[in-house]
Amino acid sequence: MARMQKGRDPADVLIIGAGASGSVAAAHLARAGVDVVCLEQGPRVDNAEFYGDKPEWELMAQKRWHPNPNVRDLENDYPINTDASAVNPLMYNAVGGSTILYAAHWQRFMPSDFRVKTLDGVADDWPFTYEDLEPYYSRMDEEFGVSGLAGDPAYPPHRDYPLPPMPIGRIGMKAAEGMNKLGWHWWPGPNSVPSRDYRGRNQCVRYGTCLTGCPHKAKASTDHTHWPMALENGARLVTGARVREITVDAQGLANGATYIDRNGREAHQRAGIVIVCCNGVGTPRLLLMSASKHHPDGLANSSGLVGRNLMMHPYAAVTGTFDEPLESWLGPAGQSIQSMQFYETDTSRGFVRGAKWGVMPSGGPLGLRAAYGGKALDEAWGANLHRNTRKVFGRSFEWGIIAEDLPDEDNRVTLDPELTDSDGLPAPKLIYKNSDNTKRMLDFHVARAEEAMEAAGAASISSTKLMRDCGWHLMGTARMGDDPTRSVVDQYGKSHDVPNLYIYDGSVFVTSSGFNPTGTITAIALRAVEHLIENRSHAKAACSHSKVMS
Amino acid sequence: MTTVSNEERAVFAELADVLIPAAEGMPAASDVDVQGAMLDHILGLRPDLAEAFRRGLSAAAGKPPADAAEALNRDDAEALGAIGIVASAGYYMTPAVREVIGYPGQENRPADPDETPEYVANGMLQQVIDRGPIFVPTPEA
Repeated sequence: MARMQKGRDPADVLIIGAGASGSVAAAHLARAGVDVVCLEQGPRVDNAEFYGDKPEWELMAQKRWHPNPNVRDLENDYPINTDASAVNPLMYNAVGGSTILYAAHWQRFMPSDFRVKTLDGVADDWPFTYEDLEPYYSRMDEEFGVSGLAGDPAYPPHRDYPLPPMPIGRIGMKAAEGMNKLGWHWWPGPNSVPSRDYRGRNQCVRYGTCLTGCPHKAKASTDHTHWPMALENGARLVTGARVREITVDAQGLANGATYIDRNGREAHQRAGIVIVCCNGVGTPRLLLMSASKHHPDGLANSSGLVGRNLMMHPYAAVTGTFDEPLESWLGPAGQSIQSMQFYETDTSRGFVRGAKWGVMPSGGPLGLRAAYGGKALDEAWGANLHRNTRKVFGRSFEWGIIAEDLPDEDNRVTLDPELTDSDGLPAPKLIYKNSDNTKRMLDFHVARAEEAMEAAGAASISSTKLMRDCGWHLMGTARMGDDPTRSVVDQYGKSHDVPNLYIYDGSVFVTSSGFNPTGTITAIALRAVEHLIENRSHAKAACSHSKVMS
Repeated sequence: MTTVSNEERAVFAELADVLIPAAEGMPAASDVDVQGAMLDHILGLRPDLAEAFRRGLSAAAGKPPADAAEALNRDDAEALGAIGIVASAGYYMTPAVREVIGYPGQENRPADPDETPEYVANGMLQQVIDRGPIFVPTPEA
């Protein structure tokens, strides 16, 4: 039983979660003079904890720095029941959130992504357009220090990236040669890693270990991009604080949150406004855990859509092995080149929407072993081990395919009736399957990527049509919209039900696009928080203590 | 911290050599001493492997190593998996092995950001640009 300790000083704004969106919100609110407290269940991470510059890198990537919390099994993680899910959700819980372990592919959605109902007759349009969001994309490019090359014909013209592109390496050149033979689109991939020193971060030295943490303090994780500014401007960051409930006052306003610290003590943080930034699984989990007499189905859930429409981006990979050495352990990883050749809808293919492709390096020799579980002993080991390593290691790369995952109310996050985290709080349970549209999309794209590999001169090609550990992108479970019966929040993340409760993370996505979402999550968070700051004199707040927000 | 006996190290070395034999110009696992200090180092970093690892060694003790490995693969894949991770991680972390396969480790090799990319200089990217825009614009409201 948790012991209650004295509550902290109230805040104008309480942010729950110090990941991508929470960090952007905290930095901009604090800079505007707003008194902010952020509760983060995880710890701060020191870059020296990462193994990317050490021989043990691949060994530790399989456990301590694995992106699946069920594999990592750390106290700052919560378990997730995935028995009914075709895909495992991936995340990290710390200051910086999943940007600690993301691949730093820094993508914009394309204009059509915001208008899929109008263009393709599926799902819903977003309550704003690409053009509405574009200025915020450019500002996030600046704040995250994105390295890239402007002029990609897959987008309307936009401001150049603040840093020159990262090298695409031999693997990118090889892939690009194949694409040009076919006359297909490719472009050097934008990455949120700096190609030269940038705002306190170091130039990327191409360890190629973004997915297991950057040991060089180069990658744009928000513990480096935004928390320094937030803290300099007075934001208060509480780590090891696992929120169990958002509390609501007699007027129906959110007035803070109750959390448990790492000593098992319970505390309450009061605030005038509450912003939830816990990702597409953690946010609906918290809203559902915050059910009360007045909100029996969970907070902000009069639409019944909290937890529904979970989208996780099915991911396929086509790997080509080449006769010549390609140094395919070398970063960025990150991405080398990308393609949107088959992104837009062509109904003659038998499905709607599409997918982004990205070339990634294939890492070290131990990672190549990961696919061998369950095979015959002499196929995976013995002399064949040496033959396979010689054939594949340093000579292969993959076209990774991110398929647009359309919203389906049956794909959802619920609370598990039995499984709990280390504080006894209900774990989320995921129910998720791929649609027929998705399956047809993956079949088509894998076949095209195989053609691209062949055109590039691959000596052998292998394909994985759906990786189970691919749920990096957690979206849709508290969707935005104008209609309170069809959405949870408005276009600025404000709850339709609780007027001082906001959600800024990927939960608010209406559709998923086929892109890595962090650039869009942060652009939406910036747009929302600036709207809140600009309209603060009118914003509903629960406490009268607030000097700034009232 | 797991303490591994000399008997267990001997069993591990034999199993490791079944999985990673001297062949194709490569040394065997025991040739690079995966059963020595490297074993302690790996189990120190990955204590989660210890239980299945030792269970596998216990089951293999006293049996011909090739037969023992086959039996584990059939009856206790988790144990063989743990033994395989410990063996292959130790093997590929060894500098001599890395040298033979041409792996310098994850390299600190920054690029010159001011250098004109080859794909720009040789016109490869211009072909993409010349094909023109490929996006569907936002439809009129």
